[in-house]
Amino acid sequence: MKVIWATRGRTWGFRFLLDGDCSDPLRAYERAFSSVEDEPRLRVRVGAQVALRFPDPLDRRDAAGRVIPHDFVLLEPLADEEPLADKINSVDDGLQKVWPLVSDVFARIWDLPRPPDAATIRTAIQRNIGQPPRTTGT
Amino acid sequence: MYPRVRDQHIAVFGESGSGKTVLVSSFYGAAQESSFLKESLFNVVADDIGLGNRLQKNYVGMRDRAIPPKTTRFSATPYSFSVKMKNGDNEAAQKRPFDVLRLVWHDYPGEWFEEDPGSAEEAARRVDTFRSLMRSDVAILLVDGQKLLDNAGGEERYLKSLLWNVRNGLLRLKDDVLADGEPLVEFPRIWIMALSKADLLPDMDVFKFRDLIIEMTNEDIAQLHEVLKGFVITPNALSVGEDFMLLSSAKFVPGKIEVTERLGVDLILPVAAMLPLERRVQWSERMEIPRKVLEHLADGAETLAAALIAGQARRLDKLLVKLPRVGPLIGKGGIPALIAAAKLAEGQLKQINAEALAKRDFLAATLTQFRLDLDQGERDDLIIRSRR
Repeated sequence: MKVIWATRGRTWGFRFLLDGDCSDPLRAYERAFSSVEDEPRLRVRVGAQVALRFPDPLDRRDAAGRVIPHDFVLLEPLADEEPLADKINSVDDGLQKVWPLVSDVFARIWDLPRPPDAATIRTAIQRNIGQPPRTTGT
Repeated sequence: MYPRVRDQHIAVFGESGSGKTVLVSSFYGAAQESSFLKESLFNVVADDIGLGNRLQKNYVGMRDRAIPPKTTRFSATPYSFSVKMKNGDNEAAQKRPFDVLRLVWHDYPGEWFEEDPGSAEEAARRVDTFRSLMRSDVAILLVDGQKLLDNAGGEERYLKSLLWNVRNGLLRLKDDVLADGEPLVEFPRIWIMALSKADLLPDMDVFKFRDLIIEMTNEDIAQLHEVLKGFVITPNALSVGEDFMLLSSAKFVPGKIEVTERLGVDLILPVAAMLPLERRVQWSERMEIPRKVLEHLADGAETLAAALIAGQARRLDKLLVKLPRVGPLIGKGGIPALIAAAKLAEGQLKQINAEALAKRDFLAATLTQFRLDLDQGERDDLIIRSRR
């Protein structure tokens, strides 16, 4: 699953919890979101990719009281499946098909005092969706 | 002819959610309101139209829809504002030492001070940002009023953690900021402690705020001072935790953001323009400062001073005679205009201000008004300036 997921916790700041196997997820993230307005809910196709943003479905907030946003860039399909990006035609599609992939993990980490590392998150999510964890170095 | 520009840089430090982006949006947005555009002697123009529109959108979103700006993520933005005088008298305009006062205001994701960046690119951006921040003229360190409320009865824990984070963040970045290991000449030498979201603490004036900070964090401020000293040449010329101010970008009530109910935001320009100039004269009175440091200590101070007392050259001697003894600065060939501009009493400032307005010399009128605004800010218990 090649998905970039950027969000924050209650106290820890914005970071990439999934890097979509990109060595530099920031560039891919900014490419996808550069052309979009600062809307709290959006779904925009950028070439073969989709930029998706929605506020936390459970209204979880950071320490300053701001609703936590979830930003995704859907890069490529799950193996042997229709490209995930092609299935997400609206924010509601994202909430139904993308959010369930990460919601359990986020529930466990959002209130931690320190940010989790991306490798731990990736492994947890791959277990969550029944994929074998990727080995280091691939 | 190209406009002559004076740059003043301001660095606003604060943790994530402490109100940095709301503050810069409120500062810029309020200056675009029709009442300001009609009444002010100057316009505040964003040098980058796109960035200006972003701030204006933030402001309108707060004002009309009670939506705060989105969180700053992954990148910092230097907002460059030109404070352009309106057309006054042509002769005065030609004589003035500069036409535009440019304020560069650096905004960055608050977590950059507290956490390690998540990617190499973000790490590189963080270093670039802090290199720029550390060449500002004035630093404002935000103390989050909401966190003081959240920690009522245990404020000390929050305040100590804030100062520890700043100190630690500076130490971690020190090698990158001092790229060749040499201490800096150009550095924010005034570190103002500012209570942000001051509307949440209506009983706290700037004196109560100062007392709270000093009572609970005296040692922490001293330690921060020591760390900052390690960044600069002539470390005695450094004010840390000696100046205090209250800031409220708007009044946040459920379902509404009252952007007209601001506190202290109108003092940002006077602080950025005038405080380094005043402090340079104060320091020169009590210590020997190398010439090369003096020149950078308040970059452009002479030019600002010359503009402030424009048209007063013939009265300069008289003005100086009326001032208290001014220490070694004059003896070292100090600049009379600078001393006069920094030390003029309120009555003299009002007189120069009135004359400048009558002559439609809007630059001199604006700069004298900035000094009067700081005096008024002190009377309103919004700001305390160091007297050291």
